[in-house]
Amino acid sequence: MNRRQTAKALAFVFVTVLALIWLVPIIMMLVVSFMPPDQRAPRFGGLLISGVSLQNYVTVFQDAEIVKHFINSAAVTIPSVVLVVIISSLAAFALARLRFFARDIWFYLLIMTLMLPIPTLVVPIFQINKALGMNDTYLGLILPYTALGVPFAIVILRSFFAGFPIEIEEAARLDGCTRFGIYWRIMMPVSWPAVAVVIIWQFMTSWNEFILALVTMNSVDVKPLTLVPLVYSGQFMMRPGPMFAILALITLPVIVVYYLMQRFMVSGLTAGAVRG
Amino acid sequence: MTRNWLIDNQGLFFMAPAMILFAVFVLYPIFYIFGASMYDWDGINEAIYIGLQNYIDMFTDDRVFSLAIRNSVYWTFLTIFPQMILGFILATILTSGIPLQNVFRIIFFMPAIISPVVLGIVWQRIYAPFGGLLADLGREIGAHFLIQPYIADPKIAIFSTIFVNVWQWTGFSMLMYVAGLQGLSQEVLSAAEVDGAGTRQRIQYIILPMLRHVHLTLILLGVIGTLQTFALVFMLTKGGPNHASEMLPTYIFQKAFTLQSMGYASAVAVVLLLIALSASIFQVRVLGSRFTIGN
Repeated sequence: MNRRQTAKALAFVFVTVLALIWLVPIIMMLVVSFMPPDQRAPRFGGLLISGVSLQNYVTVFQDAEIVKHFINSAAVTIPSVVLVVIISSLAAFALARLRFFARDIWFYLLIMTLMLPIPTLVVPIFQINKALGMNDTYLGLILPYTALGVPFAIVILRSFFAGFPIEIEEAARLDGCTRFGIYWRIMMPVSWPAVAVVIIWQFMTSWNEFILALVTMNSVDVKPLTLVPLVYSGQFMMRPGPMFAILALITLPVIVVYYLMQRFMVSGLTAGAVRG
Repeated sequence: MTRNWLIDNQGLFFMAPAMILFAVFVLYPIFYIFGASMYDWDGINEAIYIGLQNYIDMFTDDRVFSLAIRNSVYWTFLTIFPQMILGFILATILTSGIPLQNVFRIIFFMPAIISPVVLGIVWQRIYAPFGGLLADLGREIGAHFLIQPYIADPKIAIFSTIFVNVWQWTGFSMLMYVAGLQGLSQEVLSAAEVDGAGTRQRIQYIILPMLRHVHLTLILLGVIGTLQTFALVFMLTKGGPNHASEMLPTYIFQKAFTLQSMGYASAVAVVLLLIALSASIFQVRVLGSRFTIGN
């Protein structure tokens, strides 16, 4: 074995060990969720259990109406993803390809939102929702999530659009294609890698968002999944099994979406945010 | 406004939905907190104008506010740099063509996509003094330094929380570096190799400087991430014990929605906003704006 191969082997051992350590909390979450109900307390924080049981999941579906909260999360997340993709791609197209009044000022204003810590906005958004009667409604989260997600999506999409060869667009113009036609029939279909990054990102942030959901959704009936651990923390305080089953169920959808979309992630990031 | 003007400015129609949402949910709230910060207001009864009194109280007589500022400084430095260094090392290894490199990338990135609410509860079990993973492990193998009151001791609670954050976000830094490394010009790298540059020299003199935009993006995102940290702290320590791990967002939440002082909470929000704005202006001024907008 030459030096290069030795270095590679060492690197492989290093990342393997580190990856196993990295996975411990996630494995723990799964293991505890399968803990048999007759086990009093898990040892090693839950890495060792006395058997495997699905009882916690049954308990959660029976007692916690987890399906209802799951639907609430989806009812907030999916519309916000769709809206972000539509609204940000329209704006990004205009910013990358059209000339119009005060274009750069609009862009910098929007970008400012990226620097804005969301917790600064909780009090006003709570009051806006109250004034519009949107507290305890899906719309009360969909609209702010969309507003806050659009700027990042614009950054990603705009630089992707800007890298698209202008000649094809000019040819389409000569053939009588409108601006909207160029956006809808030419730009969007070829921009899948960047759109995928936007979808993953918005799905994750909307699905996991916590502070706005916490202040907006007070009625149990409309609470999304992220708030469920708080709702049942009293009831399941002494029973880590059902609580961890809830945690695993909250996590499953984001893992699935990420797994389906991850092959776009690196290419999309290369094309978008981190292009030098 | 003629018809021609509108045709020349079609872009405004494309921009309109984004601008309307921006105006309602970003611009208006910013003006709102400046206004509300001048009042003594519980959110229900009539607000009483008190000028700058909230700010005076905050800066002269508010131990929790100073703790939150101190913790933000810790958080900024102790998350951003460890995440960048470890992320870069992992990215270098995971672009070198070792087996299973995509699997490793997915594993390291996975914590970043899981809700901090979930992670907060899981890490409570890792840190728990009895039946917790670290404490049990410490007892079993006789490594007693592992048995610590990780989140119960006011001296170390903030560092235990920061550690979880580093674990969660290192994979994100790694992924950004992977993307950056893949975008590097292969010609420059091979030219350096032909000229006899060793691995270390190539990293130090070529790769690291060429990844400048990734470093800057990660610093910017790290600062913003620090300033909006909420869910992890809220779930893991509730800002405690005795406010020892309080961050500005948890403090805003507590003031506004537990203690019903919407005015004071708005004043803290204004300070948080000003910190965020000055941080980003500083970065754009000193480091250049290219990295934020990617062109």
